[in-house]
Amino acid sequence: MSLTLFYYLSITAIYILMSWALYLPYRVGQLHFMSVANMAISAYFAAIMAVNFSLPFGIVLIAGTIIGGIIGYIVSIAIGDAPCFSVVIVGFTFIYLINTIVENMEYLGGSMGIFNIPKVLKHSDSNRAFLLIIIYILVLFTGILINRFEKSKYGRAAFTINANKNIALSSGINIKKMGMLLQTWSSSIGGMCGVMYAFIMRSISPDNFTFNIVGVCVTMLFVGGINTMWGPLIAAPLLWGFPLILPEKLQSWKIVLYGIFLILILLIKPEGLITREWIKKIKNKYKRVIEPL
Amino acid sequence: MEVLAAQIVNGLSLGSVYVLLVTAFNLLLLVAMIIHYSFPVIVVFSMYISWFVMNLSGSIWLGIFSAVLSAVILNVITAPIFQHIMKKRGEVDINATMVASMGMGMIITDILSHVFNQGFPIAFPDKLTGNDKAPLIKAGLITVSQGQIIILLSSVIFVIILFWLLFKTRTGRAFRAIAEDPHEAKLVGIPLMKTGFKSYAITGLLGGVTSVLMAVLLGSASAGLGDNLGHKVLAVSIIAGLGNLTGGLVVGLLLGIFEAIIQGYFAGSWSNTVSFLVMLVIVLAKPKGLFGSNI
Repeated sequence: MSLTLFYYLSITAIYILMSWALYLPYRVGQLHFMSVANMAISAYFAAIMAVNFSLPFGIVLIAGTIIGGIIGYIVSIAIGDAPCFSVVIVGFTFIYLINTIVENMEYLGGSMGIFNIPKVLKHSDSNRAFLLIIIYILVLFTGILINRFEKSKYGRAAFTINANKNIALSSGINIKKMGMLLQTWSSSIGGMCGVMYAFIMRSISPDNFTFNIVGVCVTMLFVGGINTMWGPLIAAPLLWGFPLILPEKLQSWKIVLYGIFLILILLIKPEGLITREWIKKIKNKYKRVIEPL
Repeated sequence: MEVLAAQIVNGLSLGSVYVLLVTAFNLLLLVAMIIHYSFPVIVVFSMYISWFVMNLSGSIWLGIFSAVLSAVILNVITAPIFQHIMKKRGEVDINATMVASMGMGMIITDILSHVFNQGFPIAFPDKLTGNDKAPLIKAGLITVSQGQIIILLSSVIFVIILFWLLFKTRTGRAFRAIAEDPHEAKLVGIPLMKTGFKSYAITGLLGGVTSVLMAVLLGSASAGLGDNLGHKVLAVSIIAGLGNLTGGLVVGLLLGIFEAIIQGYFAGSWSNTVSFLVMLVIVLAKPKGLFGSNI
């Protein structure tokens, strides 16, 4: 497998997961950027564990996910039902905080970062194939979980909170608990992505986890569609893939193009490319084909 | 003790720059009803423009003029984007304006890091910053430069002008009416969009002035400065309570002084960590702000 294809497939999967991590708290109207900070924390955790203590990949992946979840849970105790902008500022502050801490600590490689994270399998082709299989299993698993969540009564409760807080309160929904659940979930997805990112790229530096990554994830979420989980699934491969087709001179302007897309979609179709109605239509069509049989 | 006094003096000028930024941010929030997260990015963009013009023409006044002009123009031409989003206020929430503003910030920051000075930080000439001149007042560790006095005086003057405009003129009354209740304001015949447009022009002017003051204060700028300032301004306005003008004044000034004091006691790069930690603790403890929000 060529290196370009491997990076394209794996980074796309990471962005799908990260956009889902933003999508989940947005169910209750919060833009929770803690997942990016947790991605950085878990990536550094994975790198240190693999390089200095040579722990196996499986344990690191599970531990990284749990660490993300725990940090997300502790933070969510304070901001579970906070207004959107307080949640935003907590996320940003965490991202900047992690960046400044990492840059100042020699042990974490300073601004140079950590190199030579070991391969999971010895042969490099089988290593790539293994990582791809693992990350797409994670995407599938997370996708099924989110899908089940949306169809359950908790998903409907989250939808109500987003639509009208007063109705949610009067029908006995615990807004804070729902916010805490979604924030913790989002943070643990962030932690999972961090571990996978460290093993896929095999070198990490503070520059990987800056404001840019937030911008890219927000673009994928809003362009794809903020109201359905299918949005990021479609938008991430398209948005990450199309700069690769462009001439080389234009490729470095990727972020500018993302910004233009983001503003255009908010102007023209604020709901995003894929809406709930659209999905319903497709489902109905599908039913019509199936039922006569 | 002398270090503390010296750093408080230094912090006053930094704080007054924050005050100007936060006031402009709050004005946009109250009157135009948007969260303009990337407003400081526009300010940094005007810093780059003034640097470019200064290098090209060699004249400082032309540079200052171009900074103010570019901030006003940029704010006014981006206004229709936000107003278009705001018209669909029923369908989308205020978050959408913040995301649009973030998109704008992404574009401007990327342009800054590609086009100007090959992406390296820029340094302003000594003629503007006044670094080549001896400080005006010197008593032990406490030094007050000409630039610091200019910054302090001009920010006080601009805040006074702004509050006069808000509380003594007809336009200001319309501004406050919209901030109080947009629907009622519309009922008594205040044109929402037109008044909102005025606020974009005024904050553009304020941003242009701030960009010049920041050039004098910092003496240099980099592409990442905008995101950093945007984060701080949003943090200050949330700690003060979103849309709380007087709260913004107090907390902005306090943040400047606090950062300067930390810089006096902690080694350079760790000082940012401390101020982020304190910010985080305050926001986590009081997510709705210290002085109450108007939104």
